[in-house]
Amino acid sequence: MAGSTIDHMIAMTVFIGALLIFISLFNQTIQTAVLYQRNRAVATKCSDLLDNMLLNPGIPANWSRMESLQLEGFGLQDPEFTQYRLSPFSLMRLQSSIGEPVYYRGTNQWYSNTTMGFGDFLLVSSAKALNYSYVAKLLGINNTYGFQLSISPIVMVSIRETHAGNPLTLTISVTGKGFPLSNSVVSYCFFTVVEKGDQSSPSYNVKFGTVYTDNTGVAVLNFEDVGATKSYALIVYAHLSGLVGVGYHQRVSADKRYVIPLVESFEDKRVILAHSYDVHYFGPPESAVFFNATFVLLSEDFTLREMPMENSTGKIGKVNYGKGEKFEYANITIPTYNPGILVVTYQSNNEYGVILMPWGISAMAFPVVFGEDPSGKEWVATDIRQVLVGNVAYQVKLALWSLEGYGVMG
Amino acid sequence: MMRTIEVFLVIIIITGAFIIASFYAVLPIPRRVSPMNLKRLALTTLEVLDADYNLSATVFKPGDDQSWVRLQVALSALLPPNIVYNLTAYDVQSGSEGTIYVPYKSISNAESLGIQSEATSYMVASSNVTFRVIPEKIGERSDGGGTLYILNCSDARGWWITGYTAHSLAEDLYKLLSPYFVKTVMVQNTADFGKILNGTSLQGETLQNAVVINTFGEAVPIPAGYYASVNVGRDSNGLYSMYCYTLGQRVRQYNWTWVSIVGYPLYYVSNTGLFPDNHNTWGIYGMRSVESAGFNAFLRGLNGMSYTYDNTWITKSLSDPVYLSSEALYYCDYYGIYPAPYQTATRALPSWITSTYNLRVTTYIFNPSGGWLAGAVFRHGVSGAFLALGLTRTPDIRLTALGLLSDYKPRLFRSEFNAAGTSRLVVLQLGQVGGT
Repeated sequence: MAGSTIDHMIAMTVFIGALLIFISLFNQTIQTAVLYQRNRAVATKCSDLLDNMLLNPGIPANWSRMESLQLEGFGLQDPEFTQYRLSPFSLMRLQSSIGEPVYYRGTNQWYSNTTMGFGDFLLVSSAKALNYSYVAKLLGINNTYGFQLSISPIVMVSIRETHAGNPLTLTISVTGKGFPLSNSVVSYCFFTVVEKGDQSSPSYNVKFGTVYTDNTGVAVLNFEDVGATKSYALIVYAHLSGLVGVGYHQRVSADKRYVIPLVESFEDKRVILAHSYDVHYFGPPESAVFFNATFVLLSEDFTLREMPMENSTGKIGKVNYGKGEKFEYANITIPTYNPGILVVTYQSNNEYGVILMPWGISAMAFPVVFGEDPSGKEWVATDIRQVLVGNVAYQVKLALWSLEGYGVMG
Repeated sequence: MMRTIEVFLVIIIITGAFIIASFYAVLPIPRRVSPMNLKRLALTTLEVLDADYNLSATVFKPGDDQSWVRLQVALSALLPPNIVYNLTAYDVQSGSEGTIYVPYKSISNAESLGIQSEATSYMVASSNVTFRVIPEKIGERSDGGGTLYILNCSDARGWWITGYTAHSLAEDLYKLLSPYFVKTVMVQNTADFGKILNGTSLQGETLQNAVVINTFGEAVPIPAGYYASVNVGRDSNGLYSMYCYTLGQRVRQYNWTWVSIVGYPLYYVSNTGLFPDNHNTWGIYGMRSVESAGFNAFLRGLNGMSYTYDNTWITKSLSDPVYLSSEALYYCDYYGIYPAPYQTATRALPSWITSTYNLRVTTYIFNPSGGWLAGAVFRHGVSGAFLALGLTRTPDIRLTALGLLSDYKPRLFRSEFNAAGTSRLVVLQLGQVGGT
C-alpha cells in the first residue's frame, strides 16, 4: 500500500514538473510566433504609411505654398502630378532632424537647418515648417508609432578641384546607388565673381556648357583665365535615361563676412539676406556685405538657364552688421514657383564669394531627414520607394517602430 | 512503479510532440518578417526611368541600340547594391486567340534572382502611336436628321443662366456636342431662328429630326415680324403663350427634340428689338413674361391640341436632392462627362403630363421622385420630343449634354490600345541577395 502511494507521489511530481517544462517550452514558441505577427504588422503599416505620405498631396493640396500651416491632411505628392512625384516645396517645409536650428535675432525666429556645408544654405523659418509631432497627429499615429522619413538623391554628383587656377580644373564624379553613371550628360553653369572693389556690389559672369562622363562616371572641366584666388560657383546637372542628379561646388575668399539666406515666406516667395555676423552672433561690429543675386533654373531640355531678377526684387544691395537691437537685412523676391537656385555673389572688405540656396529642395538635390532617430528602438521596419522630386530622382526611406511595445496589432 | 513508468511514457510522447511541432513550425527568417516591398520598388523604379519617356523610347529601339546600355546603367545606378534585377520587354501582339506577349529583349545583373523575387509589369506605348476616339454621328443610323441647332441669338436675353451668358453656354455646348452630330449650327439671331421655324435651312443642314438647344434658360428667343403676329406669336389678348404653342407645333412638325437647360421651360419670351421697354419683372429688359402658360401651350401644340390659355403652375420644388439615374451614371463613364451626381430641382415636371399629352419618357436623367421628374427626355407618341431639366439655377450644361447623349446613345469607336507593334510590356523582376 505504501509502495503504491510513493509510486503515485513520484509519478505525480514528475508529471507536474514535466508539464510545467513543456508549457514553458510551448509558450516560448507561441510567444515568438506572436511577436513575428506583430512585427509583421509594423512592416505592413510601414509600407502603407509610406504610400499614404507619397501618394497624396495633403489637405489643402497646395499647402506648401501657403503661409498658414493649418493642415487637415499630410501628404508630400506634387499636386500637379500623379504617382510618386513629390512636391519640392512640401519637402522644404519639413523641419530637419539633423541640422542644428539657427536663431536669427533680426526676426527673432528660429530656422530649420538643412544646410549642406559652407555656402550651400537652406534655412526655413521654423514657424513655416511642419514639426514631427504635428505630422504624426495628421497621420493618426501619434503615441502609437514613431517614424523617420529620409529622402536622399539617388544620383550623387561630387565635384573636386584638381587644379586651382589658370586653368581651373574641376573633376565631376557621377554615381548612382550601386553603379557609376557612365556616358551621362552633364550640363553645367559656372559663375565667376567679377570684383568691383570696395563699397560696391560685385557682378558675375556666367558660362553654360555640356560635357559627358566617361566609363567610370567622371567628367573633367577646364576653365582658362580663372586664377587661383578667384571666387566661383559651379552647378551641374547630370542625366541619363531619365535619371537626374545635381552637384555644386564653390570657392570663396570671404568666409567670415557673407550673407545668409533665410526663407521667410512661401506665399510671397520672400527670402531675407542677413549678415553672417548677426546669425552667428559674433562680437564687434564688422564691415557691411554687398551682394548681387540671380536665379538659375533647370529647363525641360536639362540645360541650366539664368532667370534674371528685376531690380525691384531686391537683387542688389548691402547688409550691415546689427548694432544693439538694430538689425539690417535685405528682402529678395524669388521670381517663380519653379524649383531653381538662388545664387548670391557678395563682397566685403574686398573679399569675395558666392552662396547658393535651393528654391525647392530638388534644385540642389538636398537630402531631407524628418522625424525621430530610430537608433535604439526595439523593432524598426523600413521600406523604400523611388520617387521624382522636380525631375530629380530620389529614394525615400521610411523607418517605423511601435511605441506601444508588443501591444500593437497593426 | 507502474505509475512512474506511465508518466515517463507520457513525457516521451509530449517530448515527441514538441520535437515534431518544432520541426514543422519553423519561424521565417527575419527578412520575411519585415520584407522590403520589392513590388513597389520595381514599380517606382520603372516610373522614374520613364519620367521623361526614356523607357518608352528605349524599349522600341533595336536590341543592339546604345540606349539599352544606358538603360542598364541607369537601372543599376537606381537600385541598391543588394538588389538583383531582370528587366524584360515583351512585344504585345494581337492574335486570333487573344493577346500574345513575345519576349523582345532582356537585361539582368545576375544569373538568378535568388529564392524569392517580386515582379511588376508596366505597359508602354510607342511615341508614334496616336489614340483616337471616333464618335458615331447622331442621325447616321436613322433616317436623316443629325443637325444640332444651338440658339445663340445676339438679340435675345436669358434668365436663370446667372453667371453665364447664352453665348458662353452655346460655345461650351458646341465643344461638347458637335462631334456627335453631322452638322452643328449656331443660330446667331432671332431672324435666323425664324427661318428655321419656317422650314428654311441656314447652311444646307437637314432640318427634320434636329435637336434644338435653347441656351437662354427660362426665356426663349422670339423672332420679330411673323412670329410676333396675332395667332402665331401672340393670341387675341396679346399674350405670347401663343408663340410657345407655335413652337410646340413646329417641334411636332419637324420631329425636333427641344432642349430646355434649366428652370421652368418657356417662362419668358425675349427679343431686345421687339421688347426694348419691357422687362421680366426682375429688371431684365428685352423680354416679356408668359409665365407657366407658355409651357402648357407648348405641350398642347406638341400634342396637336387646339390653343387655350392655361396659366396653371405645374412644376414642383423638391425638398430633397435628385440623383442621377443608373443609366445616366453609366453614360457618364461612357462619354467621360462627370457632372455632380445630385442636384437641386425646383422646377420638376409632373409625371402626369405623359398621359395627358401622349408622351413617353425615353431617358430618365434623374431618378423620378414621387411622381416628379427633375430631368428627362419626353418623346411624343406621334412626333417631336423635349428634354427638360427642372433644376435650379445656375445651369450645368454637362447635364444637358449627358441627357442628350444618353437618349441618342451615339457609339464611340476607340482605336485598340494593344494594337500590334504599338505597345510593349516591360516586366521588372527584383530579388534580394546577401544577409538573412
